Amino acid sequence: MIALHDVTKSFHSGKANPFTAIRNISLTIAPARLTVLKGPSGSGKTTLLTLIGCMARPTSGRIVLSGNGISGFPGGEEIRELDITSLPERFLAGIRRATFGFIFQHFNLLRGITVLENVMLPAYPTGERHGEIRKRAEELLALFDVARHANSRVDLLSGGETQRVAIARALINRPSVIVADEPTAHLDTDLSREFMEIVGSFKSDGKTVLIASHDPLVCESPRVDTVVEMRDGRILRSGSVP
Amino acid sequence: MTLHPAVLALLVASLLIGGMVLYAGGYGAKILLRWDIGSGSERQLELERRTYLISTLLSVAFALQILSLFLFVFTADRLHGMFSGAMCAAGTLNVNGFGYPVLVLKIVTFLLAGLWLVVNHADTRGYDYPLIKPKYALLLLLGPLVLVEGYLQYRYFAGLHPEVITSCCGSLFGQGQKGIAGDLAALPAGPMEGAFFGGMAATMACGIRFRRTGRGGYLFSIASSATFAVALASMISFICLYIYELPTHHCPFCILQKEYGYVGYILYVALFGGGVAGMGVGVLMPFRRRGSMARVVPALQRRLTGGTLVLYLLFTLIVAYRILFSPFRLAAG
Amino acid sequence: MNRSVERHRNVLDFALSSLLRRKGKNVSLWVVYTLIVSLIAAIVFYTHALKREAALILQGAPDIVVQKMVAGRHDLVPVGYVEKIAAIRGVRSVRPRLWGYYYDAATGANYTLMASDDPLPGPGAADIGSGVARTLHLTEGDFLPIRATDGTPTLFQVRKVLPYASELASSDLILLSEGDLRALFDFPRGFATDLAVTVGNPAERPTIAAKIAGQFPDSRPILNSEILRTYDSIFDWRGGMMVVMLGVAVLAFVIFAWDKATGLSAEERREIGILKSVGWETGDVLLLKFWEGAAISLAAFLCGTILAYIQVFFLSASLFEPALKGWSVLYPRFKLVPDVDPYQLAVLFFLTVVPYTVATIIPSWRAATVDPDAAMRS
Repeated sequence: MIALHDVTKSFHSGKANPFTAIRNISLTIAPARLTVLKGPSGSGKTTLLTLIGCMARPTSGRIVLSGNGISGFPGGEEIRELDITSLPERFLAGIRRATFGFIFQHFNLLRGITVLENVMLPAYPTGERHGEIRKRAEELLALFDVARHANSRVDLLSGGETQRVAIARALINRPSVIVADEPTAHLDTDLSREFMEIVGSFKSDGKTVLIASHDPLVCESPRVDTVVEMRDGRILRSGSVP
Repeated sequence: MTLHPAVLALLVASLLIGGMVLYAGGYGAKILLRWDIGSGSERQLELERRTYLISTLLSVAFALQILSLFLFVFTADRLHGMFSGAMCAAGTLNVNGFGYPVLVLKIVTFLLAGLWLVVNHADTRGYDYPLIKPKYALLLLLGPLVLVEGYLQYRYFAGLHPEVITSCCGSLFGQGQKGIAGDLAALPAGPMEGAFFGGMAATMACGIRFRRTGRGGYLFSIASSATFAVALASMISFICLYIYELPTHHCPFCILQKEYGYVGYILYVALFGGGVAGMGVGVLMPFRRRGSMARVVPALQRRLTGGTLVLYLLFTLIVAYRILFSPFRLAAG
Repeated sequence: MNRSVERHRNVLDFALSSLLRRKGKNVSLWVVYTLIVSLIAAIVFYTHALKREAALILQGAPDIVVQKMVAGRHDLVPVGYVEKIAAIRGVRSVRPRLWGYYYDAATGANYTLMASDDPLPGPGAADIGSGVARTLHLTEGDFLPIRATDGTPTLFQVRKVLPYASELASSDLILLSEGDLRALFDFPRGFATDLAVTVGNPAERPTIAAKIAGQFPDSRPILNSEILRTYDSIFDWRGGMMVVMLGVAVLAFVIFAWDKATGLSAEERREIGILKSVGWETGDVLLLKFWEGAAISLAAFLCGTILAYIQVFFLSASLFEPALKGWSVLYPRFKLVPDVDPYQLAVLFFLTVVPYTVATIIPSWRAATVDPDAAMRS
């Protein structure tokens, strides 16, 4: 479970163009559920995602992780609750790597390397043996039916295949939380539906899923458990979908 | 001044090191004043980003400083042919009044730099940067030392004029000589041997105990540091005698030369490495239980202790081998 | 420990593939780097090899050479000194040497004329060094004209050209019989140019030299070690001067390297942003940059040293010869014996790899401290 207490994130304070992306937000992300952040661009969804996903530190407020899914922190096996607000980047990155898997709007795969290497990349700094990482990557590619492209360059894939490779990459470190930022923005209806099915399989694996989107196909999907509506850096409405 | 390429290399190195240390020191001061791990402000984030740069700069600077100690001694040894009366590094260092002070300072900065690297390693493993203030305080001490050493090194090399006649190590390290070199040489061999082997044994015992039980960290550190000093004195007092197989040749530098199989380098690397590791254990002791360090420091200390034990053992074995198998025998007493 | 090794291995893997992905930039960097390393290495190797050659040659020279000084200038030494010097304890032998310089106006070259110890070459014959043979285009059997002090030219038949192997020592040498030499230069009987003294125990040489100077206040004993020291100084000094001049080139290279490291293309920035967002932290990216630098440095260092080795030991360092060997009409031609030791490599490392590494620290850090959320925002 991820809990935010009165979190604010500002940029460029003290300079010419100060700007607050998120104001005094308190929010709880339930485990093993699908939560959707809904709102127009500029509402602070992406910033909120980066805070929850251990990519950035809040300017004020607290963020606490709890539950069994915390990994990547030394001694994490015994820790049930972890305040990550003031963690230095090294530790934040360790947690992020092991606990979270990211799927980006533009997929963000590296162009010059093969699909297989792309999937393996997030696991490189963990110190796991190269061979083991490779095996897991191959299994993931097979799971998403793109194994035949393992040694191809990323540019040669279709939109749907690229998306599935991006998802495989997000899963390489066996995260317990999946975070996706506008995942269906560049996909047609069929592929979007396919994506939501894959999200369903995440849920049945017990993973927590967090999606920022304003696509009705996502927001109104029956799989969604909670919708959080945002505007101008604040939460308008947050509620479970019955 | 002699423009030997090695001299240029050392001067360039000390310039680079000085530059890096000054830069790091500047930011270090900022960090000491404004550091606040609890804050999420942009200034704090910027400082945290800077610590990566400073850590990297100082790690490179100190690694370079350590290498330049060896290059310095090697160069002093190589240059001995230029100065009439010099047979090895001892003579070269004695050409002007700066030689030995530079060597001593280089050794001191080597030890302190090694300690800084140990503390830095521990600090970066802690999730709340617990050692950041002690670390940069140590830097404030180490920084000026490095700069002074660089300056003195320049003065030393600038004052090297090949025509000058200097003393051969025989007269510097001879038993009758006044001065610390002579005093060390005159130390009676028998008791020194006892002190040396006794010190090594004590260090090993404390080290093994500390590794097993986690108790006696300070004791181990003190024992290893004392043994370090004793071993250095022993080098002059009796160890070199066995290597040269001469009762009067006490010079600690000649063993660096080719005819002795460069054994001097192995001995000194082992001794200094073990010494720094042992001191590192002691320096980390006060932080053993502090917050995030409780997880990190004990494991690190065990590794350091292991390092000291292995290196000191290597040193002792080489010395013992020489004593046992050398045809040379010191008269009793 | 194992995890650490695996981490390095994985990052190194990616670093190498990164380098290959940007061939243009990295190859140009590697080429310049290699050039710099090879230039400095050539100087270091050459200087060291010259010093070694000089030392080897001087091993054959007498331990002490005794000259007589008159009004501060070198004069002929009476052969009578020989007995008294031989009587000093520790002196093994004393031998009078007869030699002088001969300036050949036609070629502008200075030759050394020396009386041979052996019975050969006999009267009317000469043994010449290969430098002399080259300059005057002489071979065995040819005639060599030498002007005596009174101006009359005397012809000597070349009996033998001294072997190439002794080139450094004998290149400008013309060996004659003692009688011929005395006649040519009008050498007074009972005098020699200098005395060659052999001493049994090397450690006693300075003491014996001091005794000689004491017994014969008008004499100047020169120790072999002093000559060697002077040569060492000159070679070192010359080598150092060249390194200092090349310092400008190294500085230019460092600026070039800095520029390459700072000028990340948009694609590179994007890549690092992605790495950081998928879980690489600043330390990991710094490690990546470190391994990239190490790979290029290693490749450049290896290629540079091999190139320099070939240039110095097989091609005789034609680029640096004049600066390092000095000015003369008559150059001995010689191939240097390859002798590279770890010390020279260490010095080379300090002069090339270290400045490169230091120059790339800040640009690497800047690249590595991209915010992890940059990829989200782009």
